[in-house]
Amino acid sequence: MKLWDIIKMANRNLFRNKLRTFLTISAIFVGSFTLTLTNGLGDGLRDYVENQVKNLEAERVIFIRKQPPAVGPAASGDEPPEYSSEKIDTETGFDPTAFSFTQKQVENITKDISGIKTITPRYSINGEYITIEGGKKYKAELGMLSDGITQKTEAGRSINGADQIVLPLGLARAFDANISNLIGKHAVIAYKTASGELKTISPEVVGVATKGFMTNTNSFVDTQTAETIYNDQKNGEDADKFYGFSLQMGSISTAQLANIKETLHAKGFEAETMADQKKRTYDAIGIFKTGMNFFAMIALLAASFGIINTLIIAVMERTKEIGLQKALGLGRGKIFLIFSLESILIGFWGAVIGIVVGIVLGIIANKYIVANYLASFDGYSLFAFTVPSILFVLLLVSGIAFIAGVFPAIRASKLNPIESLRYE
Amino acid sequence: MLEAINLSKTYISDGADYQALRGIDLKIDSGECVAIVGKSGSGKSTLMHLLACLDEPTEGSVLVNGSDVADLSEREKNLLRNEKFGFVFQQFFLNGRDTVLENVALPLRIRGLKESKIRSEAKAALDSVGLGDKLTKRSKDLSGGEKQRVCIARALVSEPQMIFADEPTGNLDSATGAAVEDMLFAMNRERGITLVIVTHDEDLAGRCGRVVNMKDGQIETGDVSKGETR
Repeated sequence: MKLWDIIKMANRNLFRNKLRTFLTISAIFVGSFTLTLTNGLGDGLRDYVENQVKNLEAERVIFIRKQPPAVGPAASGDEPPEYSSEKIDTETGFDPTAFSFTQKQVENITKDISGIKTITPRYSINGEYITIEGGKKYKAELGMLSDGITQKTEAGRSINGADQIVLPLGLARAFDANISNLIGKHAVIAYKTASGELKTISPEVVGVATKGFMTNTNSFVDTQTAETIYNDQKNGEDADKFYGFSLQMGSISTAQLANIKETLHAKGFEAETMADQKKRTYDAIGIFKTGMNFFAMIALLAASFGIINTLIIAVMERTKEIGLQKALGLGRGKIFLIFSLESILIGFWGAVIGIVVGIVLGIIANKYIVANYLASFDGYSLFAFTVPSILFVLLLVSGIAFIAGVFPAIRASKLNPIESLRYE
Repeated sequence: MLEAINLSKTYISDGADYQALRGIDLKIDSGECVAIVGKSGSGKSTLMHLLACLDEPTEGSVLVNGSDVADLSEREKNLLRNEKFGFVFQQFFLNGRDTVLENVALPLRIRGLKESKIRSEAKAALDSVGLGDKLTKRSKDLSGGEKQRVCIARALVSEPQMIFADEPTGNLDSATGAAVEDMLFAMNRERGITLVIVTHDEDLAGRCGRVVNMKDGQIETGDVSKGETR
């Protein structure tokens, strides 16, 4: 028997008892509908995060920060630490309770690592206003783009030297609707120094950033500019301490990276590339998604018992027919295939309806919920539906249905033709 | 050619043995028309099932065209039944919701022929039993006689060497039964298809070339020659 004929036969058999098939498909529909939405929720979250981080790239930069301090003895119920007036050596020793650390400390712990070109602290800087060619003054939200980090731009390019700035899209449009006109012009940025006086610098606008996390509001300046501003603004004894540093590497191989991570970890630091940071976020989303899918799987599990039930009844109803088919030379494998296909088709149609309804409701929910409740999350869709996710649901549900159909299909294939023809 | 050598079949149910067949020897030549008669429980249906390779004997062997069926694999037996044998049953076993054409097409579908060939052959078979105008009717809407003619068409469609008919007229009134009988005998006469008819209808048996009388799992008086009637 040809496969196409078997598929047609299985499909025709499904429509013999329309109500029963419909009810069984309904149960599957509930499961695949839930699965479509939970998957869509996870993908929506992932898409959002991806859109926010995708426009920053840094293949040869390692970010380091301190490991969170171990839980102190006080917390475990022993003696609290005694006060000591001894000053901790800021070059080699670390205050175990502090998160910030100095450039010298970083140089010290990384002195055995080869291939480091520069070490850049994470300068935090504050601006007052920004303007271009005497135009309107806007509030300046400043950020620093460490060397080695490339930013995707709508116009122009990313920062590659001193005295450069990349503007966020919204701000750039406020200056000039045609954002490419801004490239090459000099912006004027004003900031307050530690003593309170207003100082201005005028870096060249080299690019306008693509929308994304942080880059939506911040104007990014290069390391040197950031350092200048920071030095003017720094205040107090902790001014040379930073919460993070970035290491600009000549190149990093995977093995080298693992080695650096291990070395720094032993010294109480965490080292990460941007890829690591992204992965950490995606892993968290993945766990969230898996957890949600688990509930959909319970619904599918319940529905698969419906499939088993439906098919066992179908085998009983069609015992004589199976007997005749066997007498006329239809092999066991083909009988198994017919019943398996029936159960796969139940799963398939349940999945298709669930996916379609899920997507339609998801799109409606996106419009409604995002407009009313999530307006501040620019570019966020609550549900995202991707082809791989849809295929995943389709294959998973069909697969579960197939497994549910195995037992009835084996029962059908093992029927004895003579006894089946006599079956009442 | 079909041959049974010392054929025995024992059913075991509830721990007790029941010997349905006891050492049957039978030879059916190509083109013959043989009736297997006997009361219910005489073993005539069991014999037909064994001859038609629908069941396996406890002892003895069945030879089809000289080769032992026991040597065939499940697949080869399926192929043998599909290509060489045709079946007509008392209860028809038609799929009522399917069209007449689709019912007749079943053996060819199982064989896996091309769609166009399946349709043309099924149509030809239905023409030959006089149902060429009922192709698209659902088989449940047919009369008993028409149903059995559809069954004959289904047996014919695979151009078999042999047709096994199990009480083919058992569910029909005498007039339609006679028409169905005529049709079966015509196939035997005109196409040389070997006919094995299991029946307790002595009229029908009498029209066959040879009658095999079964009693208590054995052939009663050997081969009874043609002409033995009521």
